[in-house]
Amino acid sequence: MSAVAGDGTATARIGISIAPFAPLLACLGLLAAWQIGALLLGTDSIPTALDALRAVPDILGDRSGLANILDSIRRMAIGLASAVVVSIPLGLAMGRVPAVASFFNPILMVTYPVPKAALMPVIMLWLGVGDLSKTLVIFLAVTLPIIYHSFEGAKAVEEKMIWSGAAMGMSRLQIMARIVLPAALPEILAGCRTGLVLALITMVTSEMIARKSGAGNILFNALDMGQYDTVFAMIIIIGALGIIFDAAFDRLRRALVAWSDTRQDIPLSFS
Amino acid sequence: MRATLSRDIVLGAIPLILIAAVWQAIVSFGYAPAALLPPPGAVFVRLVHQLGGTDFLAQGGATLLRLFVGFTIAAVLGIGIGLMAAVHRGVDAVVRPLVRVLAPVPKVALYPALLLLLGFDHASKIALVVADALFPILLSTYYGATTIEQKLVWSALAAGTPPHQVLYKVVLPAAMPSILTGCRIALVISCIVVFLAEMISSTDGLGYLLVRAARSFQTVDMFVPLISISLLGLILNALLYGARKVLLRGFPEV
Repeated sequence: MSAVAGDGTATARIGISIAPFAPLLACLGLLAAWQIGALLLGTDSIPTALDALRAVPDILGDRSGLANILDSIRRMAIGLASAVVVSIPLGLAMGRVPAVASFFNPILMVTYPVPKAALMPVIMLWLGVGDLSKTLVIFLAVTLPIIYHSFEGAKAVEEKMIWSGAAMGMSRLQIMARIVLPAALPEILAGCRTGLVLALITMVTSEMIARKSGAGNILFNALDMGQYDTVFAMIIIIGALGIIFDAAFDRLRRALVAWSDTRQDIPLSFS
Repeated sequence: MRATLSRDIVLGAIPLILIAAVWQAIVSFGYAPAALLPPPGAVFVRLVHQLGGTDFLAQGGATLLRLFVGFTIAAVLGIGIGLMAAVHRGVDAVVRPLVRVLAPVPKVALYPALLLLLGFDHASKIALVVADALFPILLSTYYGATTIEQKLVWSALAAGTPPHQVLYKVVLPAAMPSILTGCRIALVISCIVVFLAEMISSTDGLGYLLVRAARSFQTVDMFVPLISISLLGLILNALLYGARKVLLRGFPEV
């Protein structure tokens, strides 16, 4: 019995000591595989991992390069924040009021498989190629998963908690804000995490279509001009942004919902 | 029951009709010139007209082929790797950190690399669909397989099932509801991604039709591919729902 317990703690200790470095090891492994693959292929259009990494400081050190990337991040933040503000109340209302759910469900179902970045050419006709249309597209792309997760979260709230709230004389709005919202929070945050990845993807695509500024603009212009080191360096930068944002959000999520069973949610990435 | 169902249909139809009405109103009261916003009638007439033509069907077929091949590869890989990671410690130790790093990477950004590696033909687009559809299926398989009732495995072993058969006789069916949820998400993603890939390296497909129309400011033709991809997504979703009903026979209401 004691042997089993001892074995268990030993593996747990090893698990703890390796666990924080595992993603780092995975990154190194991927870069190594890339390096070997590129050397084996030996074509001009696929630079080695080291060449691409060397091009990263050139982009980040360049004033306009950095400004482009910060532009992208600003648009993404505005689109994401406004989507969160609109989607969570709507999703919660859909989860608690059946009529609201049946009102919005079909339209959400119809619009779900439409790539929101594909609306970009149409929206550009109306609003131009500036910040407004790109932010709008990011907003549209992010709303759906957050609405959906808030909806599912609110639907699953235990009825007894709502009855107790009502018995204590809370108004419907108070029940929403003080019972449904916190109870659905783990699910809502799972939706926000998906939304975060989605916002980044839409950001890149919208800039690919409306080449005016931004990280996607640098990436696809470099592709068109055959500057392959820059292409792959931008891929590294955008990929790193995704990993960093996701890790930061995960820390926030853990702090906010430390009370719930930690679901090891890795985001289901959308496009 | 029937009363609530018809009430749901009426309620759900309201926003769709409202959008069409507002769209028509904007056009007919002259707030937007037809060059910027074509009347909805014209778009649907064009869609129906196009559906009869071979060119449009060929483009749609190219999109559907990439979608189908990419989704199938992603499903096979995702379910396979997910199950292996769930039951085997060594595989788990390798797959987990890799997924943690790769899942939040925006895959469209990889598309230029795929283009340079695989060329402008089907292969690069299919590879992008696989890269994007893989993770939802893999993760939902993994969660489904790691959360199954341990007693199911024990009783199968006690009943004399060989350990290697437990995987597809017990674990796979028990994880099926979760796997299918992942497949549903992956299907929507596949629709979106294939369209984007066709927009970026426009050679053929529905995404190419949109880009071509946008370049020549044919607004009516811009709306047709958008509506087509939405319809395609709805049809595929309905098919998957049907498959789900067949595969989940005997499950207590999922």
